[in-house]
Amino acid sequence: MKEKNIAIMLGIMCFLLTVGICIQMKTVTSNAFRMGKTYAENELRNNVLKWKEKYDVAYEKLETKEARLEKLRETASTSSESSENIKSELEKNNMALGYTEVIGKGITITLKDGENVSNRLDVASSLVHDADLIEVINALKNAGAEAISINGERIVDKTAITCAGNIIKINNEKVGVPFVINAIGLPEKLYGALKMQGGYISKLKEDGVFVEITQQNSITIPKYNGVYKFQYAKVAE
Amino acid sequence: MIYISIIIGCILGAIIGMNAPVISYTYSSYLAIAIIAALDTVFGGITSVLNKNFDLKIFLSGFFGNAILSIALTYLGERLNVDIYLAAVVVFVGRMFTNLAIIRRHYVDKWTNKFEQMSLKMKEVNATEKKEAK
Repeated sequence: MKEKNIAIMLGIMCFLLTVGICIQMKTVTSNAFRMGKTYAENELRNNVLKWKEKYDVAYEKLETKEARLEKLRETASTSSESSENIKSELEKNNMALGYTEVIGKGITITLKDGENVSNRLDVASSLVHDADLIEVINALKNAGAEAISINGERIVDKTAITCAGNIIKINNEKVGVPFVINAIGLPEKLYGALKMQGGYISKLKEDGVFVEITQQNSITIPKYNGVYKFQYAKVAE
Repeated sequence: MIYISIIIGCILGAIIGMNAPVISYTYSSYLAIAIIAALDTVFGGITSVLNKNFDLKIFLSGFFGNAILSIALTYLGERLNVDIYLAAVVVFVGRMFTNLAIIRRHYVDKWTNKFEQMSLKMKEVNATEKKEAK
């Protein structure tokens, strides 16, 4: 009788034990799939980093090659005196295309998302949007800015400023807040154009965007990294 | 008798466990430590049966006490960011090995005694046969 009781007890215990083991095994296997997913994600992230590194290496190579090309051009143009004009023309064209780093006096505008947004009805209006950047750049161009960059991205005539979620894409590069807009031109003129009553900057300030404008004696604006391609346009005879 | 009931319990448990729902992953570490505690208790129970000092009250209180204490330790370790459950696993597995050694010794002794007796009997039989042949 006693042995029977013991046997039944141990049987129940083993029953509970195997139920627990089975449930645990099922849980672990079903979660292994989830782990695999994150593993795949990590792999993708790794790949992105690898490609970025490759891109950087390739870009460095391109830069050295470009420097060599520049040198060759220089030697080619200096070899003959008559080509002095061509050289200056070339330099001018490169500057117009944004292919050279430029330096000069101008202004720096910093745009940041507004901070105390809680007392505003429309929170979105206190954020910096792509349209705000376009308006500011338009105003700067109108005031005679010769070279403009946003967070190190040179603004050329092929530049597109588009909204991509919570960031902005300029020249297909992702750019985030704070936006530092550098512009070369007559600082007083640019400053006045932006500070004008009823201008776009005053509207931005009203909307709650953080705006700071400083006049600078010397600003360096990087060159444009893209390529000009003409696939459909041809020189008209 | 005991082993038959254990096997039946295991088979029934496996069948029901296969059809049981999956628990959430956060609680699986607690279930794992409870499984280790239950395994330890089962081995302890078999050992005590062999030693003929099995007590149902001690067996049940040991099972629930061990499981609850180890689960509480796991929870505490999670709060403190220390893997305390490893200590419980070490203790339980160590005891499992001790109990297994006791069980093994019991059966090894039993079988060696049986063989010795058999060989003694065989010798006796041989001796009597030889005597009769003479």
